[in-house]
Amino acid sequence: MLAAAQSPPELASKPGAVVTTPHVRAELIAHAPDGVTPGAPVWVGLQIAHQPEWHTYWKNAGDSGLPTEMTWTLPAGVSTGEIAWPAPKKIPVGSLANYGYENTVLLPVPLEVSTLYKPPVALGGTPAMDIQLKASWLVCRKECIPEEGTFTLALPLQGSTALHKAEFDAAFAARPETLAKPGAIEVDGHNLKVRLVGLPATAQGKTLGFFPETPEVIRTAAVSGKDWTQSWQGDTWTATMPLADQRSASPTVMPVVVTLAEADRQAGQPMAWRAEAPVTGAWPAGAAPRAAEVSPELQAALAANAAKAASKGADLPAPSSTTFVAALLGALLGGLLLNLMPCVFPILAIKVLGFARQAGNASAHRKAGLAYTGGVMLSFLALGGGMLALRAAGAGLGWGFQLQSPGVVAALAALFTLIGLNLAGVFEFGRAAPSSVCSAQAKHPLANDFLSGVLAVIIASPCSAPFMGASLGFAIGLPAGQALLLFAALGFGLALPYLVAGFVPAVAYLLPKPGPWMGTLRRLLAFPMFATVAWLVWVLGQQSGIDGAGTLLALLVCMAATVWALTLRGRARVVIAGVLIAFTAVLTAAIGRNVLQMVEPAKLASSAPGAAGQRWQPWSAERVAQLSDAGRPVFIDFTAAWCVTCQYNKKSTLSDAQVLADFDAKKVAMLRADWTRRDPAITAALTALGRSGVPVYVLQAPGKPPVVLTEILGKDEVRAALAAL
Amino acid sequence: MSLSPTVDSRSFRAARNARAALSRASRRAVVAAAVALGATFLMGNNAAAAPTVGQQAPDFVAVDTSGAKHKLSDFAGKFVVLEWTNPGCPFVRKHYGSGNMPATQKAATDKGVVWLAINSTERAASDYLKPDALDAWMKSQKAAPTAVLMDEDGLIGQVYGARTTPHIFIIDPKGTLVYAGGIDSIASARVDDIKTATNYVNQALGEAFGGKPISAATTRPYGCSIKYKA
Repeated sequence: MLAAAQSPPELASKPGAVVTTPHVRAELIAHAPDGVTPGAPVWVGLQIAHQPEWHTYWKNAGDSGLPTEMTWTLPAGVSTGEIAWPAPKKIPVGSLANYGYENTVLLPVPLEVSTLYKPPVALGGTPAMDIQLKASWLVCRKECIPEEGTFTLALPLQGSTALHKAEFDAAFAARPETLAKPGAIEVDGHNLKVRLVGLPATAQGKTLGFFPETPEVIRTAAVSGKDWTQSWQGDTWTATMPLADQRSASPTVMPVVVTLAEADRQAGQPMAWRAEAPVTGAWPAGAAPRAAEVSPELQAALAANAAKAASKGADLPAPSSTTFVAALLGALLGGLLLNLMPCVFPILAIKVLGFARQAGNASAHRKAGLAYTGGVMLSFLALGGGMLALRAAGAGLGWGFQLQSPGVVAALAALFTLIGLNLAGVFEFGRAAPSSVCSAQAKHPLANDFLSGVLAVIIASPCSAPFMGASLGFAIGLPAGQALLLFAALGFGLALPYLVAGFVPAVAYLLPKPGPWMGTLRRLLAFPMFATVAWLVWVLGQQSGIDGAGTLLALLVCMAATVWALTLRGRARVVIAGVLIAFTAVLTAAIGRNVLQMVEPAKLASSAPGAAGQRWQPWSAERVAQLSDAGRPVFIDFTAAWCVTCQYNKKSTLSDAQVLADFDAKKVAMLRADWTRRDPAITAALTALGRSGVPVYVLQAPGKPPVVLTEILGKDEVRAALAAL
Repeated sequence: MSLSPTVDSRSFRAARNARAALSRASRRAVVAAAVALGATFLMGNNAAAAPTVGQQAPDFVAVDTSGAKHKLSDFAGKFVVLEWTNPGCPFVRKHYGSGNMPATQKAATDKGVVWLAINSTERAASDYLKPDALDAWMKSQKAAPTAVLMDEDGLIGQVYGARTTPHIFIIDPKGTLVYAGGIDSIASARVDDIKTATNYVNQALGEAFGGKPISAATTRPYGCSIKYKA
């Protein structure tokens, strides 16, 4: 900005008399018709030629702006007088006004050469006085540019310098002529009464412009004839004009300038007059309550509209009945889709086997369907009630929190190991006496169905299917009754296929007839169970570290061996089972707490694989804010080790070379918020997004609303969202 | 929405934006209507003046760069600084680029003062910044106002008689205007002048918190004219 105002490069080392900027051409000029000698009139001046529409300012710039400043560097014995400001023009800027100059203006400054001035000795050529000027000016149109320039001039001492006589003459003509009498100014309430006397005949009766040299006294933008009035009585001009609302000056003497309108000016005649008028009367203290008249009406109008806006905004968090019905339908659909989710798959296996076992028995099917549905729905209601209780307790927990507890994970791993062993034929219910849950399965078919329903819910919970996340986020903000209804709908959705199969024969008949394939199928289904155990051990590893996972595996082996031992007969059974149980007890006492021990996040982070760690940074709200501040778009992966959908997305879409290339092309910072363990900050961030489970994928560009992507992340979807950045 | 810059509010910001985005359009429309209505009242009262130091500061409702509404009277009990700003103005850039304005803002907000930066530049102006761009610029300058308010229709600016950018107003906990004027004592666009100038805002707030009367309660604001909507 300022650099643009500097002298052209070729003159930078030795500044000249002209500085040209995109807005002005400024030149240092001189007028010394009688040469430079003590007593002779010597004028220098800065001539500013403005580009059309641009202006610089008078000594009182008005509501904004700055007067042009000049700093001189002169030889000893030479000094300057004050700038002989030509009469300014009032330049309205919207509801404000400035005093300044457009087109071309010359700001003359008298040089006073004293007898102390020793002219330089010229060894040839004409002796000259070196004058240097550093000037700064603010040039404005609507926008303002501060500019400055350094000017030098060698003023010949002998002979006449009168090249710019016309310009100086014009400037002198535009200079206000001082009136013989000072006039008077009286402060009258919030007005200023100005009285100037002795104005010449050329001015009398004319409408004058008024320019106080003291800033911050009158309302600059006041319009003559509207906001202020003037009148003539012979050679006396009086005017009443409003004081500025935020007057910061209370002078005792006010130098003021009045000017003729341009149309009334005549060549060779003065066009402006100046007086230094003493001020009488008391300046008002700012206490009169005037502005208060505006604000109540304005406030009422704004308040009324603000209330409307507030009520509109309130629609979002507090849904109407129709949106609640939509949410119930969404929950039902979410529950249905939950059947297809990877985490529910092992339970589907159990269900298929269960149906195969009872094939052909319609009444049993109905009962099984009802029992299963009851189990699912009661579990969902229990979960919902638990969540509501925790919400009430302010625990800040979200969906999926069960698997954030290592104890629950370990217990599930044990349960699935037992189911797997049972399916694989290691032991049969009835002969062995495993956990009470498994024995209940064998002895009471209905309880078995009920419990498999419960199991389905426990396993489904961490995998938020589409709709489910939103529905649950919705539920968290609802009154208790509505939230429970939502949970019931979710459960009903999950149980529905099974229930239908139990009631509609057509569906039941589609089931295969019992046969030898059942044994094969049963053994085959042991593997999904063991796979689930492997997954649960990995989840526990994320939570409790390698020691916890190792301990869990050891305990599972002990348990399996114990179960096997219990299938033996006679003394072998007593001895081996006794030894194994004792060993298991010792092992549990010695290292069992490793399983329940939460590993510090830092330790976990250091053990995390490095390859993925390069691209992904750990999420924190602060990091997101930092990146946003830096203008970087951010992609956040809210994930958890126990969420299979999350792992699927991570390994497929989020590992896709094209997708990653798109992320890089848009310079997207990738953050991963790992919710494997309880993290209140992540829970809070999820709640803020209206979700209470993972996965959630958010693409956030600075200055744009965040884009929440679907939970089963598609490559095309991610690439489209990135392209839209 | 929380105004205190807590860690919590930061962590919720992303989501708040998401929700706000949905309602922003309707809010903006409503506020625009409010502003239009307010302007009618103003026109009927054109002669009515801006508040003078010692008078009640007019109340207002404005929308910040993230679409959140702020009402002056909600801040009753706190000192409130109104700072008219426009990044297109060299005087504003002088005080932001040098770090003077952000430091003044931080010093004030650290004391519990509410600092509202207000942009009254009309939409048609060449240097008008949209809310997001203004917010981004403020962030790039490490500015620390409580909120950056949009006043494209110039309603608040006209009511307060704001003339320049910067132009500072300080309102005491009772809602009385206690300071109106410039950011500091040297009217120039030169950064070098900041260190020798008296920072009127720091001075006024220091005196106010010290229980002393504000010595310079009305000063000369200097800077660029506010580009009000015609």
